[in-house]
Amino acid sequence: MTKPNTGHINPQESAASEIKSYATGFVISLILTVGAFAALLSDLPNTWKVVVICTAALLQIVTHMRNFLHLSFSGNQSREDLLLVLFSASLLAIMAGGTWYIMSDLSGRMHQTGESGSSSHRALAAYSNNGKPQQVWLSNVPLSRN
Amino acid sequence: MSENSLYPGLNLGDKHGDAHVQAESTVFGFWVFLMSDLIIFGILFAGYASYLDPIGLAGGPGPKELFDINSVAIQTVLLLVGGVAYAGVSLTVKYGHGRGNLVAWLLVCAAFGAGFLFFEVRDFISQAGKGGTPQVSGWLSSYWTLGGLHGIHVFCGILWIFAMIGQVATRGIDDVVKVRLSMLGVFWHFLDLIWVGIFSFVFLVPLA
Repeated sequence: MTKPNTGHINPQESAASEIKSYATGFVISLILTVGAFAALLSDLPNTWKVVVICTAALLQIVTHMRNFLHLSFSGNQSREDLLLVLFSASLLAIMAGGTWYIMSDLSGRMHQTGESGSSSHRALAAYSNNGKPQQVWLSNVPLSRN
Repeated sequence: MSENSLYPGLNLGDKHGDAHVQAESTVFGFWVFLMSDLIIFGILFAGYASYLDPIGLAGGPGPKELFDINSVAIQTVLLLVGGVAYAGVSLTVKYGHGRGNLVAWLLVCAAFGAGFLFFEVRDFISQAGKGGTPQVSGWLSSYWTLGGLHGIHVFCGILWIFAMIGQVATRGIDDVVKVRLSMLGVFWHFLDLIWVGIFSFVFLVPLA
């Protein structure tokens, strides 16, 4: 099922390296967390805030997987674990990414909020309206998202 | 790491003989469950992102009215420290530092987890007080489902920790307990990983 365990290790040495690995993971996670919160409170443009927060989140997830869950991608991990993680990640990308894409596409086509619809959807909507002023649906809904 | 990993989480190592071998299939099976859990969380994330527009908010209160960034920061730190504290449990078991240390580390994890839950529940109550109950809008339904499901997981983790303290007290640190503690470790670290997604994508991105 997996590669056999070979080589005898000195327990004290191994414990020290394991504590170091956890400590490294903790420090990196803390820095990335503080970075994400700092980005939110900073004066950066909104797009950059979102980019920084998302990048920090992805890096921290990788750190958690490496240092806390001890999933290694360098070959000394059992093959089944890696395949399971990669398979789950691809399923998730298809299902979650697909859900998000379809729903934002629908939102753009049906409600023309202008935010989630791409320019082609707006062009299509303008065409179908034959130049008449566009009727905005649910115009009583406040635009509380900035 | 100089040895091969047979399963996710800190491996017990050859020295533990049967427990190490048994942990391979048992922890792998538990890891399969956690990956299915990951899919559930992922779909809830996608639902949350889909509802995050004026239509999804349906005129109800939004992120800026409801979210308390300080409380989110406190929860994040509590869960991160509580997660890393499980390293103490794993290393105590692996290097045989005794029952007393083991129970102490488990209690530290449970305490940080309980602190996290305290602030999360307090937030939920104050949000409900501001009119942000689940039935108000699609966005709030998805927020309560996602946050609530994670909170229930943390609560179950704490119950599991106390169950393990009971087993350590009655059975001692035998092979069965070692394998169960390995599974609990993977579960506990996994909850921390999910929280990274929640504080980033549920709280920080909508506030940006």
